[in-house]
Amino acid sequence: MSAARPVWRQSRARVVRQDDHGAGHRWLELEVKSPFVPPSPGQFVQLRLPSAASPVLLPRPMSVAGVARARGALRMGFLYAPVGTGTLALAGLGAGSEVEVLGPLGRGFPLEHPGTPVLLAGGRGVAPLLFAADVLARRTRRGRAPRPAVLLFGARGRAQLVGLEAAHRRLAALGGRLHLCTDDGSLGPRCDVVHLLGRVAPGLAGPLVLHACGPHAMLKAVALWALARGVPAFLAMESMMACGTGVCRGCPLPRSAGARAACDPATEPSLHGNREWAMCCAEGPVFAAEDLDWERIE
Amino acid sequence: MSSRRAAPPAPARHPVPVGAVDLAVRIGPLRLRNPVLTASGTFGYGDEYAHVVDVKALGGVVTKTLTLEPRSGNPPGRIVETAGGMLNSIGLENVGLERFRREKLPRLRALGATVVASLGGETPAELERLLDVLGHQRGIAGFELNFSCPNVARGGARYWAVPRRLERTLARLRPLTKKALIAKLSPDVTSIGDLARACEQGGADAVTACNTFVGMAVDLTRLRSRLGRACGGLSGPAIKPLALARCHEAARAVRIPVIGSGGIMDARDALEYLAVGASAVQVGTATFLQPDAALRVIAGLRAELAARGIDSVREWSGVLCGEPLGEKPAAPAASRRRTR
Repeated sequence: MSAARPVWRQSRARVVRQDDHGAGHRWLELEVKSPFVPPSPGQFVQLRLPSAASPVLLPRPMSVAGVARARGALRMGFLYAPVGTGTLALAGLGAGSEVEVLGPLGRGFPLEHPGTPVLLAGGRGVAPLLFAADVLARRTRRGRAPRPAVLLFGARGRAQLVGLEAAHRRLAALGGRLHLCTDDGSLGPRCDVVHLLGRVAPGLAGPLVLHACGPHAMLKAVALWALARGVPAFLAMESMMACGTGVCRGCPLPRSAGARAACDPATEPSLHGNREWAMCCAEGPVFAAEDLDWERIE
Repeated sequence: MSSRRAAPPAPARHPVPVGAVDLAVRIGPLRLRNPVLTASGTFGYGDEYAHVVDVKALGGVVTKTLTLEPRSGNPPGRIVETAGGMLNSIGLENVGLERFRREKLPRLRALGATVVASLGGETPAELERLLDVLGHQRGIAGFELNFSCPNVARGGARYWAVPRRLERTLARLRPLTKKALIAKLSPDVTSIGDLARACEQGGADAVTACNTFVGMAVDLTRLRSRLGRACGGLSGPAIKPLALARCHEAARAVRIPVIGSGGIMDARDALEYLAVGASAVQVGTATFLQPDAALRVIAGLRAELAARGIDSVREWSGVLCGEPLGEKPAAPAASRRRTR
């Protein structure tokens, strides 16, 4: 078996909007010239600033937080925190600035998976799940979503629940419920997302399917919760990357014993992984809980 | 092909039309349509970027290093960005000889790429077995022997950085193929010139100068290496001045062509390598920034040479190689160099 031909493209994009989003976060909107295949929730793009505008060498993988069509062009939204040299430079770009994008890359959330979709977000990990809620809301309007989704959203404190208003709006459109929690108890119960899941899950119409994005420690807890209960779960992972396309082999994640046994290196698409490692960029970034060795993930 | 010249071309020439610039070069028995190849490990097996890069237009595609058996590579972290560069610790992950021959080679043939297969071995015997199988395969134009991987425990840069071992190994490999044999050398040696000479003596058609530099980065929070292994290989603009000097040293040491590699981001970088004695260049890390980086270098080279009034890249290649830069003119022997 060989992988389907990649669909990603290299393209120029223009900043149409960039503003403060609270708690040190930014909302960035880029307009891309076609041909550019619209990303789906969980997919990412490699974003590169012109050399003159950026002190960093490599492009930055950015999870897409929303997609819209405007006057024939494609608009993509990103929610990020300027914490490193690359994202700080990105935060300095005003409307009209040009950047380069490569995408869409990787495999996103399988939102068509049967069951009640439970979206789990930790902090700014909410970005691709806002996008997922958009897509599910669209399907609900068209009568194609089986059940309304719920979003469980946790962060350190109230301020770190970034994009909370957007989450409210989307869940309302979806006819679904938003559940919040914080580590410091400043909004919602004082607990983490996995404990919140334990409280909320019994009240939901099963079967459930989990889609999660957040810090690896949270994703690991979600994966172990789901594996212990036989609930399908899909986790959006992170890694340092160079190319973002599977070529450089720079972003391996350890496969579980089951996935190793099931992996036939002779037929595994070569851009994906090998028997031991799965490449985060090409095979992920969204992985099924049972496919990764959570004990070896940091 | 004309010889590499010791004297710089006369200044203030009139520009020539861009379309009139001849970029063809010869590397031993291998004729390349232009002197820009992809560096091993940065362009997959040659077909992964084919939907965005016309691989036929490249001087050549050097594949990811192939080993007899598939290798799964090193544990994470494998990539660390540093000032102006990146460290990698991939560890020769590859699909292995059989799958390359069965699956990748037919695709490369269909794409019409000029394929240089990179081969890696822990011993001379392993390289012999690889060449036994691939030495006469249709669709492979030449071989680059990876004598310089910094990221493997056995058969890496340190093992191969012994002139006599290189010479004897090449002498064993030479009869196994009529195609170009290129030796890729490590920069982390006392004298890359000595290694290049040993390769020439052993029968290599060319040497590549050079692979990545061994480097480290420390995670101060966890107090350990930021890579899965202690060290990795540094590439990117950060190493260009260092690698350029290794290229110059290698070019002055041998009469066979030298392929320059290390931090080439644009055509002007390539021009520097060619000037100090490279007959061709490889573009590596730049491809991770822009998959079509090598094509941009080719277009830029044509324009840069045209603007200088030079209608053949072979005329530019080696203009600064004949004498030690910044020193008194060398013995004339060094200037009687030829591009085979």
